[in-house]
Amino acid sequence: MSKRSSSSRHMIDVDLTSMIDVVFQLIIFFMFTSQFGEMMRTEIDLPIEPGDEDVAPKEPAMIIDLTNDGKYLIGSTETSLLEIERLASAGLAIHNDAHPFDVLIRPDRNAPAIYLDRLLLRLANTGVEQWKLATVDNGGGS
Amino acid sequence: MTKAKQKRIRRRSARLGALPLTSMIDVVFLLLIFFLVTANFAQEEHKLPATVQTEGGGVQSSDLQPQIIQISMRGTQPVFSIGELVLSDAPSLESLLKTLPKEPGVAIKSDPDVPIAAIASALQSARNAGFDKRSYVPTDE
Repeated sequence: MSKRSSSSRHMIDVDLTSMIDVVFQLIIFFMFTSQFGEMMRTEIDLPIEPGDEDVAPKEPAMIIDLTNDGKYLIGSTETSLLEIERLASAGLAIHNDAHPFDVLIRPDRNAPAIYLDRLLLRLANTGVEQWKLATVDNGGGS
Repeated sequence: MTKAKQKRIRRRSARLGALPLTSMIDVVFLLLIFFLVTANFAQEEHKLPATVQTEGGGVQSSDLQPQIIQISMRGTQPVFSIGELVLSDAPSLESLLKTLPKEPGVAIKSDPDVPIAAIASALQSARNAGFDKRSYVPTDE
């Protein structure tokens, strides 16, 4: 019994305050620097292009993933074109010129253009005029 | 310092030392490892902005006719056509676009079987060539 209490006293003597300080600082740093939105996105082989660096790093109002086999995903959930049209209409209704409705399309680089055409035609029907195509700099998927 | 004060400080530090920190440190380290790993694997994405222009309507910013880039497949390779000119790669397209007037903008059209990578190449070439007005014209089936 006396042995046990002496060992726990040794454990208590270790001063962890500074280490915990450093660890928390690191956690806060990574929380601020990592991009949660991108981590939550579906893994897609995006087109390999450097993109337009002049684009403001603003989170788009709607992100649509387009897979190689023509599936449209919003937040990793398969969504029909009809539903996308409804969501875009609702989004446009609450946006104005100061905060325009911004659509980001994340297509698989090998997907045929017909799937992009179908999507853009639906979006254009609702009144969407601006869209952005997501790309990556090198060959890796995101 | 009085004896009573010293005793109080000793008692307080003993109480603090008794805090069970093991589980908290476990959680903190797990969080740290999680952020380290995900930060390394999250890849930065870029964006290529464009407008969507439907055939027979849509966005028309001026009366000038935009340069039309038609993308089609030749065998397994996409080719870019501007008028009579057929270009087999994006650098050639970019070089040609640099010589054209920028004010009318550029409109990109593609055949249904063209991979989206080719559309991205055309948009990137137009952007690199200095075209601010870039539109994509989806083909109506």
